[in-house]
Amino acid sequence: MQLLSGDARRAVFSPLDDGALRSEAVVRRVGSAIALGLLGDGEQLPPEADLATMLNVSTMTLREALAELRKLGLVVTRRGRGGGSFVRARDDVLGELADARLAELGTTDLRELGDVHGAVSAAAARLAAGRASRTEIARLRDIVDRLAIADSVTGQRRAEGRYFIELAACAQSVRLTMQVMDLHLELGQLPWPPASDPGLLDVMVAGHRAVVDAIEDRDGGLARRLTEEHIETRTLWSIELRLRAGGDGAVAAREVS
Amino acid sequence: MTSPGGREIARVRAAVSDVVEQVFGTVAQVHAAVRRPAARDGLHTGGTVLDHDVRELLHAPGQLAVGLGLVVAPRPDEELPLRLEWWQLDPGGGPLRSLEPDLRPTSLGYYDYTATEWFDVPRRTGRRHVVGPYVDVHGTGRYLLTLTEPVVVDGEFVGVVGADVSVRRFENHLLALLGGLPAPFVLLNDEDRVVLSTAPRRLVGSLLPRGADPLGAGAGVPGVPWRLHLVGDATLLRA
Repeated sequence: MQLLSGDARRAVFSPLDDGALRSEAVVRRVGSAIALGLLGDGEQLPPEADLATMLNVSTMTLREALAELRKLGLVVTRRGRGGGSFVRARDDVLGELADARLAELGTTDLRELGDVHGAVSAAAARLAAGRASRTEIARLRDIVDRLAIADSVTGQRRAEGRYFIELAACAQSVRLTMQVMDLHLELGQLPWPPASDPGLLDVMVAGHRAVVDAIEDRDGGLARRLTEEHIETRTLWSIELRLRAGGDGAVAAREVS
Repeated sequence: MTSPGGREIARVRAAVSDVVEQVFGTVAQVHAAVRRPAARDGLHTGGTVLDHDVRELLHAPGQLAVGLGLVVAPRPDEELPLRLEWWQLDPGGGPLRSLEPDLRPTSLGYYDYTATEWFDVPRRTGRRHVVGPYVDVHGTGRYLLTLTEPVVVDGEFVGVVGADVSVRRFENHLLALLGGLPAPFVLLNDEDRVVLSTAPRRLVGSLLPRGADPLGAGAGVPGVPWRLHLVGDATLLRA
């Protein structure tokens, strides 16, 4: 198969560097790539040896991860000619995976992730106010409009990811754009707050629209502050979801679209 | 223009114009390849369009482009989807690579090229176009200037041919060509974005600040919607 070379794909298949529990890290990475649509339903994964090299894990570790993904139902393997491992996009499984991941993390992990997301995105928003053209601002608005009407969890996640990635591209920065993509692969492993409380989607949409307005007014200070505050609020949602899950990881009232 | 500043501007705009025409010369070669009879069949059937040797243009001596090729207009009625034949230099010096972006609308990484300026402007105007500097997000992932022209077959727009020049290469080439530190100038595109600058405060990629001292009309660069302005900025370093 020909591997796609888009930037977000690069992030999916980039080496894992978090040390312990590597097969679980592979499972999480693949899970979030499916949740963000980077790996499509029915898509074939690269051959085991290639995949192991890309992710910088041993073939043994990769096989463990694939076995787990098969058990979860996110991957099916067919033998023989035209065989291989194929992706199954299952929203129910992705939701359970995200809840399990949330239960593993401490509130400080969530705060750290939010801190980095806030730092990178707020910097991008400030720079975008001095660098985004009218065409780019129109594109940002279009993405936020799509977020407002997206009716599935994956559709919302995707539109939201594209908003932050586009914001970094508006800052004319390749490095910030790559950082945001990597962060979204991590954020994609966590529960999507509007799945628990659909009203939160309106808060996100309003938050992004206010930032785009500030960028259009070329008010970099305001764009930065609004982005920081918005992401701080989001971090608190994640932390509350984590605290509600208590010790057993079961998030109350979760809905999967 | 006979003042020293005027002579400097004339020299810079000639150098910039040469670079632009050189890259459009390469684009014209890609265009000629699309017009070969075998290539035109590929356009209609959805098969391969460009000959293998087209990619070798990237290895031509003095070539500034880091990528080139053809991007085809989708025709959903005939079940001909988004597709492109685009090659890139490997930044690490390896063999040429074909660009395989994610063309599925359901993906976070969807490369919706029909909405990009480098595709849409030649489609609408029927004329060549230069875009950038911009981050080619979801595509090459690089910081680029992209030069494209429309391909029209039997009166129908079938796509664009073009070339990417990395902003770094463009700058290095021109700074080397101009030698020393020329009188501080900025080169602005049609969005008032800095394309090239020899004034440290005027960052490449930034927009001219709103309400800043006007730079005057500047001097147009032939063949491209860019303007050159001398700027009176003081230097930042004292030594």
